[in-house]
Amino acid sequence: MAEVTLSRVQKSYGALDIIHGADLGIHDGEFVVLVGPSGCGKSTLLRMIAGLETITGGTIRIGGRVVNDLDPKDRDIAMVFQNYALYPHMTVATNMGFSLEHRGTSKAEIAERVNWAADILGLTQLLDRYPRQLSGGQRQRVAMGRAIVRNPQVFLFDEPLSNLDAKLRVVMRGEIKSLHQRLKTTTIYVTHDQVEAMTMADKIVVLNAGKVEQIGAPLDLYDRPANQFVAGFIGSPSMNFLDGTITENGFAAPGILLPLPQMSLEVNGRKAVYGIRPEHFALDDSGVPAQILLVEPMGSETQVTMKLGETEVTGVFRERILLSSGAIIRVLPDRANIHLFAVDGGPRLN
Amino acid sequence: MAVAQDNARPEGCSSSPFWTIARRDSLAGWLFIAPQLIGIIIFVLVPLGLVFWYSLHEWNVLANTFTYTGAQNYQMLLDDPNLLQVLGSTAIFSAGLVILNMSLALLLAVLLNQKLAGITIFRTLFFSPVVVSLVAWTIVWGFLLQKNGGINGMLQLFGLEGPNWLRGETTAMISVIIVQVFKNVGLNMVLFLAALQGVPNELYEAARIDGTPRFRQFRRITLPLISPTILLTSIITIVGSLQVFAQIAVLTQGGPGLSTTVLVYYLYQQAFQYHFFGYGSTLSILLFVIVAVLTFAQWQLRKRIVFYED
Amino acid sequence: MKTEISPRLKVFLYGLMCVLLIPFVFPTWWMVTSSVKPISDIFAFPPQLLPQSYDWTTYRKVFELQPFVHQYWNSAYIAAIVTFGTMIVSSMAGYAFARIKFPFANTVFMIVLLGLLIPSEVTIVPLFQMFLKAGMVNTHWPLILTPIFGAPSVFATFVMRQFFVTLPVELEEAARVDGLGRFKIFRKIALPLAKPALASVAIFTFLHSWNLYLEPIVFLSSADKFTLPQALTQYTDAYGGPMWNIQLAAATLTALPVLIVFIIAQKQFVEGLAHTGLKG
Repeated sequence: MAEVTLSRVQKSYGALDIIHGADLGIHDGEFVVLVGPSGCGKSTLLRMIAGLETITGGTIRIGGRVVNDLDPKDRDIAMVFQNYALYPHMTVATNMGFSLEHRGTSKAEIAERVNWAADILGLTQLLDRYPRQLSGGQRQRVAMGRAIVRNPQVFLFDEPLSNLDAKLRVVMRGEIKSLHQRLKTTTIYVTHDQVEAMTMADKIVVLNAGKVEQIGAPLDLYDRPANQFVAGFIGSPSMNFLDGTITENGFAAPGILLPLPQMSLEVNGRKAVYGIRPEHFALDDSGVPAQILLVEPMGSETQVTMKLGETEVTGVFRERILLSSGAIIRVLPDRANIHLFAVDGGPRLN
Repeated sequence: MAVAQDNARPEGCSSSPFWTIARRDSLAGWLFIAPQLIGIIIFVLVPLGLVFWYSLHEWNVLANTFTYTGAQNYQMLLDDPNLLQVLGSTAIFSAGLVILNMSLALLLAVLLNQKLAGITIFRTLFFSPVVVSLVAWTIVWGFLLQKNGGINGMLQLFGLEGPNWLRGETTAMISVIIVQVFKNVGLNMVLFLAALQGVPNELYEAARIDGTPRFRQFRRITLPLISPTILLTSIITIVGSLQVFAQIAVLTQGGPGLSTTVLVYYLYQQAFQYHFFGYGSTLSILLFVIVAVLTFAQWQLRKRIVFYED
Repeated sequence: MKTEISPRLKVFLYGLMCVLLIPFVFPTWWMVTSSVKPISDIFAFPPQLLPQSYDWTTYRKVFELQPFVHQYWNSAYIAAIVTFGTMIVSSMAGYAFARIKFPFANTVFMIVLLGLLIPSEVTIVPLFQMFLKAGMVNTHWPLILTPIFGAPSVFATFVMRQFFVTLPVELEEAARVDGLGRFKIFRKIALPLAKPALASVAIFTFLHSWNLYLEPIVFLSSADKFTLPQALTQYTDAYGGPMWNIQLAAATLTALPVLIVFIIAQKQFVEGLAHTGLKG
């Protein structure tokens, strides 16, 4: 069984804590994405699972075994690097087969495995080429092929799509996902792009400054973010936040009174942060007034920068808004999708 | 650089459209290279031609005779009983020097490529002989290699008796090689270090994860990726080894006998000690041919040995 | 290749490096310490790592036995002129080969590169004749002219060319739009940006000239014209045997200035010299 468990994993450089006690359980065959802003420690965590970084505290288990003191080669893992790490002086075929050479695998078997992997990834025509002759997407596939050939318990991906252009990223996302569906190998995938996380993951782990903020399925994180950080990180364009106070009549933000969510609490008079996603505004005459600052038509939807009271927010509407800056529209926040958070990045209140 | 044709009249120039921008630039180009080019012609190419011309003459400087003798000097070359030994000494010296130098440089570079505290100090110290004055370095070694000198003194502390280094044929050759190796290996070490650091660390991490043993990593990843530097360094080192003069002149004067008389030193002896300018010139031509052939051969071999990254 | 090293291995590596370091560092150490030993202690057994008694007259004798100051000056000013001259010639030629399109540029470049292949010993005989006819034997002219215009500066030209090729063309194009002519572009834009390459060239040209041995002994015959490498070998006694401690004192004086500059500016030295090989 290729499940991966992290218990109170910690990484420190001297007095500096990089990872503060991470707990994480990954089931066999799951596709887990570690996501967070630059410097949050996601790559460090991945490298600790790989064995490229030492573990200062806690335990990491792969397949039930504690691997803290095991060399990478004994952990039965394969890794796809951000910069592909292809050996420039070897052909695609040799690159993919290199890891099998020192294990005494026969040439015939190496060729068989390489051909199998190449077939899955569409690399059969490129087996005799050198990395410098390949495009970014092709190189990425070769890097994946090298990992597949090993047939390991766990795949580790370290921001593999960062160096590709936007269109290619979309294509490769789908390919990685379908590869996972086919091979069903446990996969741990690191990225800073929350769109990748949302579309690919069975489970997302949001990291911030070395701490695990929330673990859950993509839609759970979208619908019920545990704190303001996760709320602002997941979803694009990101959630709007308004500072204010919860009152009997609604949420009092500077210059405006907003409806409270359906499940209210006994926290009258408390200062809080009001969160509402751009896509959860509806154009409704019974709503609150908003002054338009900027209208950006995208074709399928319209993004509007507007002012609710004194706070600038973003709204995304299916309808075409043919008004210009300065006009007033009436918007209604969807009561089922209003989030309240404690101030200073605190946990959700509803 | 693309240059546009311009037929407009630039101020201050002649009224004909001859001096286009392109032409003016070409003139500038020629002016820029003129000193170097004229210098090369006067100080390299003309002498090269002259050397060949001299080699066809018998030239007794003292008697001031300069007679055309055609290929006679070359015949003398082939008949010279010393030449075989001189060439042998040259080959041994060069081969010994290059092999020792390159392996030591590579070893040191690998050793110094670790992240250890104070490693920069070590690198500087290994490099220091490169900047010590050549003759000073040679003199010190000459001093150390004396029969009762520092090296034998150290050996005696261990109860060993060292030979008279500079007076035995084999030991003299060994001494001369060692002196030269330690003088210049720092330079090659630095070049190899730079090449080693140019190999992306990710490649080693990938190999680590795959479980590739470290020796295999060195053989299949490191060596191929630094092979361009290895080739270049070997060309420079080999050509350099054929020009080593001062060390031999100061340490052994070619002796004992002819054992350390390499071609360059033999040339010097013939031309400037015995005043056989004609024959000396012939030897110069031989040296030139050897250098040219070796460089050419190595350059051709590069396709086989070196992996080039475009 | 390793990211983390065990303490045991660390000790081993340090130890290995120290042992390997001995032949690199010991001679310099021996040179300096022996230069102040009395002649009787020079070959003393057991060998004295530090002098047990001192003879401070060796340094004085260095200057008494030969016009050492004059010789020092010779080496120094010749090296300075050669360095300066080479920097000018090679930077101009290197720039032209890198940036200017002129007819036959490639052929000329090949011809110039030939200079790299030809050891100085090959051409020394005819050069001697040429300088003899010009009446310049036993002057410093051969030691100045040949390196600046001959084979040694070709390497410098090559290095400068490699460097100039990497300069962004846009800088020069902007200058041309601003109205600068080719020479001004060279002087005001290309050259100031070439400081690292010029530093490399300066270092190895200076060292090369400072170390010249064959040329001085071929061309120079009077002691007051000698350069240092030549002078160092002249400290012999009546029987022709070297006066070791005095010779070592002279050697120390020769080596020390460069060594001190090296220790101060090590980074530039090492990078400068490595720089040349990398692109080459």
